[in-house]
Amino acid sequence: MIATIVEGREMLETIVASLLAGVGVTFAFSVAIWGAGRFADLSRAERPAAAAMAATVTALALAVVGVAVVFGIVAMTSK
Amino acid sequence: MSSDVILVIVVVTALAFDFTNGFHDTANVVATSISTGAARPQVAIGMASLLNFVGAFISISVAATVANDVVNSEVITPTIVFAGLIGAIGWNLITWSMGLPSSSSHALIGGVIGSAVAAVGFNAVLVDGLVGKVLVPALIAPILAFLVAGLSIGIVYRVVGRQRPGIVSRGFKYGQIVSGGLLALAHGTNDAQKTMGVITLALIANGSLGANADPPLWVIASSAAAIALGTYSGGWKIIKTTGTRIIKMDAAQGFSSQGAGAAVILASTHFGFPLSTTHVINGGVMGAGAAKRFSAVRWGVAGNIVFAWVLTLPAAALIGALAYGVSQIFGDGALGPVLVTLMSISLIAAAFARRANQGAPVPASSG
Repeated sequence: MIATIVEGREMLETIVASLLAGVGVTFAFSVAIWGAGRFADLSRAERPAAAAMAATVTALALAVVGVAVVFGIVAMTSK
Repeated sequence: MSSDVILVIVVVTALAFDFTNGFHDTANVVATSISTGAARPQVAIGMASLLNFVGAFISISVAATVANDVVNSEVITPTIVFAGLIGAIGWNLITWSMGLPSSSSHALIGGVIGSAVAAVGFNAVLVDGLVGKVLVPALIAPILAFLVAGLSIGIVYRVVGRQRPGIVSRGFKYGQIVSGGLLALAHGTNDAQKTMGVITLALIANGSLGANADPPLWVIASSAAAIALGTYSGGWKIIKTTGTRIIKMDAAQGFSSQGAGAAVILASTHFGFPLSTTHVINGGVMGAGAAKRFSAVRWGVAGNIVFAWVLTLPAAALIGALAYGVSQIFGDGALGPVLVTLMSISLIAAAFARRANQGAPVPASSG
């Protein structure tokens, strides 16, 4: 009976969206911090090309976080 | 005329409830940011207050659920809504004075159900909506936040585990400004809407709005303002207690728990599930704590939360039913609600006076 009452599809979507958003954004932000750490280390080691790669990774990861946050808010307001 | 007086009492009581909701929940929303040093208390509370206000305007799905899917709005009267609010405020006050963590949201829904059953009988309750949109999501959401936060922190430690602690800590403290802001926004969307839903239900019951109507703009704006003001006022007194109550966590754990809480609340709000934001935030904090070290979590506190969760709906329903019964002793007019309001204010004043004599209160009940 419970199965028929609970809005299964909406509940499932909530679970999937929460997992993707929560874990995905945290992963992307962790990558950004990893990139920032590598950039600092590689700059100190005077390896500019590798440092630039690390900085690019950080910028891309931060962009993913930003897009995910904006997408999440827009998706929520669109219903 | 009499029904208009009751309606005014309902609106004022609902906004007062909304204010206390924000007041209590300040600690939950800003605790991790302050604990990890990501933001100063004044900044964290000011930002939480502003984003709670903004969040209240984002969606009306939860308000629609409270107004239309829990009780049958066709048989509801403003007095029933009023008694439900008294049930919620009464239970919040009892749990607050006993130091029991509880949910204002579940108390609100329980109170309205109790008064509706006392007035009309069990056919006033929409069982499908209650189970499908309130009870099951209420059970799943904190567990989901626990899992999301636990998984997230596991990934964080794998990705940045070998980096210098200084840069990792600084990075996640910056991140917490965003995740804390999102959590405040999510809190505003879900919690302010419950008050909007109750006021809308009263307006429908009074004939001021048609069945299944959306909340008018003044209801949205006043609910947003009440929860934002409550959040801003609450912080200053509660913040000292907060610093000692929460789990000591690092910035990465704070970021993961806030991110998990915001993700679960925002996703649930999208589908109109009225959650206990407190339970979700606590679930996230426990998940981030347990993933690092299982014994870091105060499992006794978790047990209290479960105990209060089970008790909240029936207890608030009982008080709501009692409030309805007492107000009906004086007939169908405004006298009953007016007298019940005066009695409630006296009881609240007595509880605060007793607390003041015993020392500073420990906040317990929230969103």
